[in-house]
Amino acid sequence: MVEIEAQKYWPFAIICAVQLLILLRLLLRQRITLQGSMSYMGFLALFGIVALFPAPTARLAHAMGFEVLANFLFCAAIMLLALLHLRALVTLSRTETRTVQLTQDLAILEERLDRALRTR
Amino acid sequence: MRLLIVIPAYNEEESLPALLDECRAASADLPCDVDVVVVDDDSTDATAAIAEAKGVRVLKLCRNLGIGGAVQAGLRLAHREAFDFAVQIDGDGQHPPHEIARLLARTKEAEVPDLVVGSRRLELRGHQTTSARLAGQAWLRFWLRLICRLRVTDPTSGFRLYGPRALHIFQDTYPYDFPEPEALAVASAVRLRVVEEPVAMRARQGGRSSISGFKSLYYMVKVTLAVALAFVRNVRRHAMVAASAAGQQLEIRQGEHKVNNG
Repeated sequence: MVEIEAQKYWPFAIICAVQLLILLRLLLRQRITLQGSMSYMGFLALFGIVALFPAPTARLAHAMGFEVLANFLFCAAIMLLALLHLRALVTLSRTETRTVQLTQDLAILEERLDRALRTR
Repeated sequence: MRLLIVIPAYNEEESLPALLDECRAASADLPCDVDVVVVDDDSTDATAAIAEAKGVRVLKLCRNLGIGGAVQAGLRLAHREAFDFAVQIDGDGQHPPHEIARLLARTKEAEVPDLVVGSRRLELRGHQTTSARLAGQAWLRFWLRLICRLRVTDPTSGFRLYGPRALHIFQDTYPYDFPEPEALAVASAVRLRVVEEPVAMRARQGGRSSISGFKSLYYMVKVTLAVALAFVRNVRRHAMVAASAAGQQLEIRQGEHKVNNG
């Protein structure tokens, strides 16, 4: 049973590896930050390992009441992706708030500078 | 006494020239030094150029922040430049500047209010809003009373006067999107004294309302949630600040006690 599943999951490991390569490429081009992408890399690495060695995961899934390993993987992936999304949402909201403050400060400073230059 | 009139404006080139002329006329009758600032919320029309040509101060936001972000920029300016009061009036000409005197008169009371809200519902003078909006206002009145124990007749009015304490609070914490009812929740949570003053408003003199159609439904749901969240969040923050201030005072007293005994 476990042997059959192991054969089934190796394409999934390849997809994880490809995504990891894309992530590395983006990192090299400085399109994303290492700090921000660490959790995503961890997620891909975890699922890549699970896909390559499904037997221990199958045992864990069975112990947790999942009859089919694929169901457990979908469930775990959705949960982890939801966590990643939450983390991204927090970062985005923080950045948005800071951007608003900076926009306001910039407008105030520009106005002061304009006035100072005009009164010279 | 110094007063800053804050006019948030997004694509208000139609209504702004007349509004700024009215502001100038109204300022002459006010018993204080008055400055006018137009906060141009990254308009795509000539709003900023018109305001500059009229000789008022202009804050040009480099990206569209929405009404709340624009108002907060003006309040921030008022707070940093130590204005005693700031009045917010909409750039669409709904709020007649000559009514500012009524809001300002409330600051002469023995117990000076921190926030004076111009209400069109107290005396039912001037332009009244549509029945759908009245229903929305009724819900917000009920919700503010239930959550914040705050009784106001016109929770969506953007015609407001801010005192020094309100400026201090709102320059740091002001809701960005559909801000008026949420700002009242913040004010209530941090124990600002909020009063209402009857004013007459007009129909908008130009431009388009940002809340129409499907957005009205989104507005009601969002504001209902935002009021509750803002109240809880700011009550907690206020309690923490008060506890920290009390702790500092205790430390100072203990220090003084040691110095006196030592």
